[in-house]
Amino acid sequence: MAIEVRHLTKVFETGRRRAVRRVEAVSDLSLTVYPGERLAYIGPNGAGKSTSIKILTGILHPTSGEARVLGLVPWLERRRLAARIGTLFGQRSLLWFELTPRQSYRMLAAIYGLDRAQEHARVADLADLLEAGDLFDLPVRNLSLGQRMRCELAACMLHEPDILFLDEPTIGLDLLAKQRFRELLVRLNAERRTTIFLTSHDVADIEHVAQRAVVINHGAVIYDSEVAAMRRTLLSTKLVEVGLSEPAPLPSTAGVTVLEHTETAVKLSVDTAVRSIRSVLDELLDGLPVSDISVLDPPLEQVIAAIYARPRA
Amino acid sequence: MRGLLATLRNAVAEARANRAAFASQVTIMVVNDIVWVLFWTLFFRRVGTVRGWDGDRILLLLAVITCGAGIALGVLANARRVGNMAVDGQLDGVLALPVPPLAHLLLRRVEPVNVGDFLFGVVLFAVVGSPTLGRAGVFVYVVACAATIVTSFLVLTGSLAFFAGRNEGGELGFHAMLLLGSYPVDIFAGAAKVVLYTVVPAAFVSTVPARLLEDFDLAGAAWLGAVAGAFAAAAWATFTLGLRRYTSGSVWTRA
Amino acid sequence: MSRRRWPEVTAGTAALRAVAERGGLAIALVFYVLVVAVLAALWRAAVDSNGGEVAGYTVVAITWYAAMAEAVTVSLNQRMIREIGDDIGSGAVAVELLRPAPVLGVRVAGALGRTLPRLAACCAAGAVLGLVTAGVPERPAALALAVPSAVLAVACNIVAQHAFAGVAFWWRDAGSAWFLYQKLVFIVGGMLIPLEALPGWLEATARLLPFRAMAYAPARLAAGHVEPVLLLEQVAWLALLALAAGAVFRAGERRLQVVGG
Repeated sequence: MAIEVRHLTKVFETGRRRAVRRVEAVSDLSLTVYPGERLAYIGPNGAGKSTSIKILTGILHPTSGEARVLGLVPWLERRRLAARIGTLFGQRSLLWFELTPRQSYRMLAAIYGLDRAQEHARVADLADLLEAGDLFDLPVRNLSLGQRMRCELAACMLHEPDILFLDEPTIGLDLLAKQRFRELLVRLNAERRTTIFLTSHDVADIEHVAQRAVVINHGAVIYDSEVAAMRRTLLSTKLVEVGLSEPAPLPSTAGVTVLEHTETAVKLSVDTAVRSIRSVLDELLDGLPVSDISVLDPPLEQVIAAIYARPRA
Repeated sequence: MRGLLATLRNAVAEARANRAAFASQVTIMVVNDIVWVLFWTLFFRRVGTVRGWDGDRILLLLAVITCGAGIALGVLANARRVGNMAVDGQLDGVLALPVPPLAHLLLRRVEPVNVGDFLFGVVLFAVVGSPTLGRAGVFVYVVACAATIVTSFLVLTGSLAFFAGRNEGGELGFHAMLLLGSYPVDIFAGAAKVVLYTVVPAAFVSTVPARLLEDFDLAGAAWLGAVAGAFAAAAWATFTLGLRRYTSGSVWTRA
Repeated sequence: MSRRRWPEVTAGTAALRAVAERGGLAIALVFYVLVVAVLAALWRAAVDSNGGEVAGYTVVAITWYAAMAEAVTVSLNQRMIREIGDDIGSGAVAVELLRPAPVLGVRVAGALGRTLPRLAACCAAGAVLGLVTAGVPERPAALALAVPSAVLAVACNIVAQHAFAGVAFWWRDAGSAWFLYQKLVFIVGGMLIPLEALPGWLEATARLLPFRAMAYAPARLAAGHVEPVLLLEQVAWLALLALAAGAVFRAGERRLQVVGG
């Protein structure tokens, strides 16, 4: 077991003496993560994602409940755990701004107890893996965000952690940089069996990196499943997009909602619990001057938005 | 230990890399310190000896406080920022590493401008302190104690922010310590003087060291060391307890 | 709004805002009490060691002197020059120059508005401290003069700081200018040492400089010396400083138009 969480709760008390407000940021959260998994940890703002990650990495003390990461209790054995996990928080940098990444790595190596030989080997290794060797000797101040994130990734991998916690790591990166970053995470996981625990708002991060998605809201887990299965089983709707060769009225049918109807295209949402796709397609092809037709799964955003609206599991 | 030294080395490197307006800031510091010397010189020229203090002894006091404060604010530059870091959630970076948090935090940042203060103090002592080998040794000892006390006091008052959710205590503590430590405690009487030997240990930061430099006695030196140790322990304990209540900026604890 | 009303409006809004920041005022007051306690203790010890009088000041007089000298210094925004310099450097001033009201006037009025509530609070606290620790000053009538003098002192200080800060139109680091300036007020402005206690040549020089209008004048009056001529001196210095600041800002304005904001 890489991570084991049971009934974790964190209550913040804010405000002054007579007007104390209790905010339950994490509420009876339970979760198990196995070694080598790639897990996406998602939820709307204020869901308790950052708070629960901070508890798992030993930064915050919980109000009640249990958790073990790599067999250690994070807030009690913080330093021992810190030596075995890596953390990459999008808004916080591991690297020193005015120095080169290599200088930061030297300090981190000393902190993690790597000797010079090990340090050199690891840095060279990571330079290859992350294709960032030419960046290590430039001051961080001069790097673009995408370049910096690759160097940050190297920094948190330096000590070969068993688990990598990433909190919104692709924030602010351009499309290409995001793609590259995702590929690197997958490669790290494949080659070193590093467990990847990733929080993100970006649905593409989930699609391309995660095998498993855990959705939390109001401080608790509301959904936990394989990403592939999420789409399939969760929503029974499918989208049908039809191109028209000439304007035409639509036959009204049960189980079909019209999302868009222009002179050249129709977009429909089909509730497959009510009507089979087959029968809808038959009807459309018979009744409309169809030039083009496609059947799509709803976008993952929609799936997830639907999940956010659910009550707790 | 290796890690701590490496942290300090990086802090120095980063400070050196950040050269913006460095020269003018150091000039300001030196001017500031010279103005202090000027003030005391003019003062004692006019009033003679006051409660056992004269122009010579006061310069010893000035040398100790500038060196001590120079270390606390220059080398251990995060000491004065503990309160802000606690409230703003800036301790995450330290907590993510397998290091003793307070030590790493203190060594993580160097402020070169205040290091200028330290150098001024050393020069001042060299010029007016008639430095024999023995006296130099005493100077090193008392400055180490003074720096420990100032740093500990800053960490202690800053750590109160963990419990209060705001950093007013830290700010006040900082100004109070530096202000009160810059004057000989003998100008006060009664309750005020007691406070300066206990709760706000300004007496041990400059007055007692200056007396020891002029007139060394072992008991006095031992007391100084004991106070330094006690405040260091209190600071460490308060900070460590405070960490348990750290909210990491997850929630705005200011009402 | 009419050109004649903007100073009151700006100062008024600023005063309200300053009072509203009660947290800040409380801290400033605590700091003030601390500073006065230290400075007064130092000088009282000096007076005691000199048979009850130094440079003509008794214990009572020197206590009130310290209280007033600090009141007119602590109540000022310590970051003002840096803020003005930053605003000049960032181009905010360039934008203000587009408005119909004169930039300098608006800023000074605003700063004055923000400072006066703090000044009032510090003076009140200082009066309490003086009465409790020393008693009434020798010529209490002088206190009536000290109050307007304090306002004039603060005004002189603010205007002078703007003149100094105007340096930022040419040289980005106005912060250093402020530091040197503050030290000048401390020594030759009478904030740390009453001018009468300075050696003859320095006292003579200090009499010719504007800094005495910023701390010495109200402090001397509060110490119980009825010397109304000090108020006239302050008004004269205020006028001169206003001219200087105006000239600096006008020159700066011209430079902005040439160089760009």
